[in-house]
Amino acid sequence: MRNTIASCIIEVAKKDSNVFLISGDAGLGVWDSFKEEYKDQYINPGINESLCVSMASGLAMQGKKAIYYNIAPFVIMRPYEQVRLDICYQELPVILVGTGSGLTYMPSGMTHYALEDIGLALSMPNLDIFSPCDPLEVRACFEYAYKSNKPSYIRIPKAGEPNLHNGEIADISKLQFLLQNNSEILILSHSSISQEALKAGEILGCDVATKPFINSFEFNLEAYKYIFVVEEHFSYGGLGTFLKNYTNAKIEILAVSNKYVHLIGNCEYGREYFGIDSKGIVKSIKERL
Amino acid sequence: MTDIAKEIRKTLLKLANQARGPHIGSALGCVDIFSALYFKVLRLDPYESRDIFLLSKAHSAMSLYSTFYHKGLMSEEMLFSYYQNGGTLPAHTDRNTHKYIEISAGSLGHALPMAIGMAMAFKKDKQDRNIYVLMGDGEIQEGSIWEALMLGAKLGLNNIVALIDRNDLQGYGRASELLDYEPLEDKFRAFSWDCERVDGHCEDSIINAINNKKDKPLCVICDTTKGKGVSFMEDKLEWHYYLVTDEIYARALEELK
Repeated sequence: MRNTIASCIIEVAKKDSNVFLISGDAGLGVWDSFKEEYKDQYINPGINESLCVSMASGLAMQGKKAIYYNIAPFVIMRPYEQVRLDICYQELPVILVGTGSGLTYMPSGMTHYALEDIGLALSMPNLDIFSPCDPLEVRACFEYAYKSNKPSYIRIPKAGEPNLHNGEIADISKLQFLLQNNSEILILSHSSISQEALKAGEILGCDVATKPFINSFEFNLEAYKYIFVVEEHFSYGGLGTFLKNYTNAKIEILAVSNKYVHLIGNCEYGREYFGIDSKGIVKSIKERL
Repeated sequence: MTDIAKEIRKTLLKLANQARGPHIGSALGCVDIFSALYFKVLRLDPYESRDIFLLSKAHSAMSLYSTFYHKGLMSEEMLFSYYQNGGTLPAHTDRNTHKYIEISAGSLGHALPMAIGMAMAFKKDKQDRNIYVLMGDGEIQEGSIWEALMLGAKLGLNNIVALIDRNDLQGYGRASELLDYEPLEDKFRAFSWDCERVDGHCEDSIINAINNKKDKPLCVICDTTKGKGVSFMEDKLEWHYYLVTDEIYARALEELK
């Protein structure tokens, strides 16, 4: 997914000389061709997240389409106030791209995990939040954000995730179904943990969908008797919390409890530990039905 | 003190008296910087290619608003809606309120990094426009300022002028005592910026420093006195927050006659 978003950014930079990419000293190798071909549209100012966000704001104020790329905690958490005031309060069309969603950077340690980023992002008015599950959703999210005049935050996992959808996404603001069995149970997910949600849905024979545009209001969940929101995010503050505020549907959240993670191991190990791998999802859903 | 600076100060006191809000000391202290910039330096027309002024120490917004009024950029009605229920102007600037208020500010350390982005955009578009940023000397304790300083010279952003309102009084003490940051000139020059130190109440000195700008980003340290123009407010810590009552207003105005 990292290569897909890089391709998307290169494509718009080629067509639109107003596109600026700010890389916060991250993405080794990802931007090599960009910084050669579009050198006056690229800047790596070093390790200074506040500066990166504020200068993106300044660029946007003067009509540029600024994209700030870094590891997710350094896009939305470290410079929270700059995102809050310089981007969102002033409603500037900056695209923030954070890599390493959820536990995908395990075992780097809690400083590098993005388990509360959606909660922070949801607290800021004007900010569109995207958490795509595969390269096809990445492309659709980026294209939406690029055309939008609003601030956007796109969180992606690490790299190498497979396509889960069969074709291009027509409308990223809607639920994206991966499996439809006319079930009364829906498993709803976002980001790369959707792979596990899909496997669980296949085992249980229920419907599975993603919601890549986290805070869009294009959803209707009332028809489902049971909805399980599976997310690689803290259980409080993510998509499930958002939906509970805006629907009367019965929603259960399967996620990581709001505690700092001290676990050592890779991402798959972490997902299994926190019960959000396919086996854990199946087990939890069976227990709750 | 020029005549226009005196008039801005009188308006400021009236505004502060009506609003019953804080920061009169900060606002009075940077009036001469505002009058130099808005009456002698900034190119405001045509609007599309204007110079940009960013008030980073936005708790001095009253001073900016009063300057706008005397420059003919703001109506009396709008000016005196400051701080009022249902009014237009907040105590810290909001860019949605006026076409020459470029940024929403109030939290410190934001404007210089934003100026970097704007300056880059102007360079890319080959636009001959300058960006002026006014910061407080307390404000430069923020790390984001130094992040921006590191980058400004490296990118050759000679279209930025950073002005420091060096009054040596912040909310709860002397800036120089809270953090031992002098000599400031050495620090800015070490970051490859040009730096001049001037009397911040002498318009000609401020203007000369700006006009002598060379091919680097420039920092002008303006030595000022907080509360300048009202003797009992000058260099007094308490006037960061004290309110201008009717009695205070009358006494202060008498001094400016």
